[in-house]
Amino acid sequence: MLNSFSYYKPKSEIEIIETLKSFGDDAKILAGGTDLLVYMKQQIAGPKVLVDIKGVPDFSKIDVDSGGNLIIGAAVTCNDVVENQYIRNHFPVLATAAKTIGSYQIRNRATVVGNICNASPAADMAGAFLVLDAVVIIATEKGNREIPIKHFFVGVKKTSLQQNEFVKAIKVPADYKDAEASYLKASRIKGHDLGTCNAAMSRSKNGKIKIAIGSCNITPVLLPDFDSNNIDLANILTTAMNSIKPIDDLRGSKEYRKHLVQVFIKRLLNGKGHSH
Amino acid sequence: MYLLGVKEGCGEGECGACTVLMNGKPVNSCLVLAVEADGTMIRTIEGESKNGKLNPLQESFKKHHATQCGFCTPGVIMSATSLLERNQNPDEEEIKEAIEGNFCRCTGYRQIIDAIAEAATLLESEVKK
Ligand SMILES: Cc1cc2nc3c(=O)[nH]c(=O)nc-3n(C[C@H](O)[C@H](O)[C@H](O)COP(=O)(O)OP(=O)(O)OC[C@H]3O[C@@H](n4cnc5c(N)ncnc54)[C@H](O)[C@@H]3O)c2cc1C
Ligand code: FES
Ligand code: FES
Repeated sequence: MLNSFSYYKPKSEIEIIETLKSFGDDAKILAGGTDLLVYMKQQIAGPKVLVDIKGVPDFSKIDVDSGGNLIIGAAVTCNDVVENQYIRNHFPVLATAAKTIGSYQIRNRATVVGNICNASPAADMAGAFLVLDAVVIIATEKGNREIPIKHFFVGVKKTSLQQNEFVKAIKVPADYKDAEASYLKASRIKGHDLGTCNAAMSRSKNGKIKIAIGSCNITPVLLPDFDSNNIDLANILTTAMNSIKPIDDLRGSKEYRKHLVQVFIKRLLNGKGHSH
Repeated sequence: MYLLGVKEGCGEGECGACTVLMNGKPVNSCLVLAVEADGTMIRTIEGESKNGKLNPLQESFKKHHATQCGFCTPGVIMSATSLLERNQNPDEEEIKEAIEGNFCRCTGYRQIIDAIAEAATLLESEVKK
């Protein structure tokens, strides 16, 4: 059962900020609701006010700005990303990762921005955005601010968003257009389970390799950059093992997770990740 | 309205028994607030038969015994309806993917997949006629 709450659906960014300001900690942003409504039903969250961001038309858009950067609005769903031809052609790893989330029904509601704002260590979009060096565009009282996604996750379900702020879009730099990138996820069953562990990799045109690992620490983890012209596998695997702290839980033991991470990294480096 | 077709199983987005089409797309209605549905087009299992006559997809479910206890069926049919509207010629993988969010604890899915596959063939031959 849901406790009672008020519902607001502002039509502009400024109205959203004003609504957040008037209700403070009592308010929560509602995007697809596939995390938040579950928490409310389980009484893990009990916001008195829901601020639905789906009323701002621009937030449903997938755009390319004048600099060639990809901009994904806060109300864009996972299926919007999976089905978008531009993304499939030029940033296919985003479609690959989005397609692993939940079921078809969930992906019709779940937003990719909600996925990172929920900040689960297992969030499937996190790795893909981390290896594409994405930038989170945050609306604040004083205008927009942008932060690299690697500084966005600060703990389990915790982001660096401050009071009266929300994410309006996520930007993927033009540098990563057509870059090689792939994603691998292990889960117990398809369609209904968070990942036991996941890993993403990109190889940029200027010779950098980025690797991100999920479900193995309190936040998704981005390893330091490696040189793609001089790949030292032993060093990459040691760095990975030193950067993660997996736990034992119902989805797998910490040993199993460590093993999977190493297998995934080898597969990704050998070009055996899925690219779409 | 006394429309009892849509079922609530888990209430948390896992089972798909509550699947309805919202502006033509399948969603878990247990995770959609009524206010969010304001102004949208909602299609449920009740809209699928006409004048007491089952539609070809429903007939195919009957023929293949794709419904046993029936609890999952209204949701599965809505997922399959959406699949056949976006893809007239789905292969087995595409059928499985379309119903990955619908739990069925009775049939073992084989009958459901066969029923959807045959309905697709029927619908395709109708289009060709
Ligand atoms: C059955 C099921 C299966 C799932 N499977 C997966 C899976 O395989 N992989 C996976 O990663 N996740 C999975 N999830 C979790 C969930 O679907 C995703 O995390 C989804 O992307 C969340 O997006 P949303 O739009 O529904 O977010 P909401 O539920 O609307 O919001 C999530 C949180 O983020 C905040 N928030 C949302 N948008 C913003 C914003 N723009 N600015 C600031 N804060 C914001 C909300 O206040 C809330 O705290 C699953 C969920 C269910 C119910
Ligand atoms: S009741 Fe189970 S998904 Fe909605
Ligand atoms: S027929 Fe009983 S759950 Fe599917």
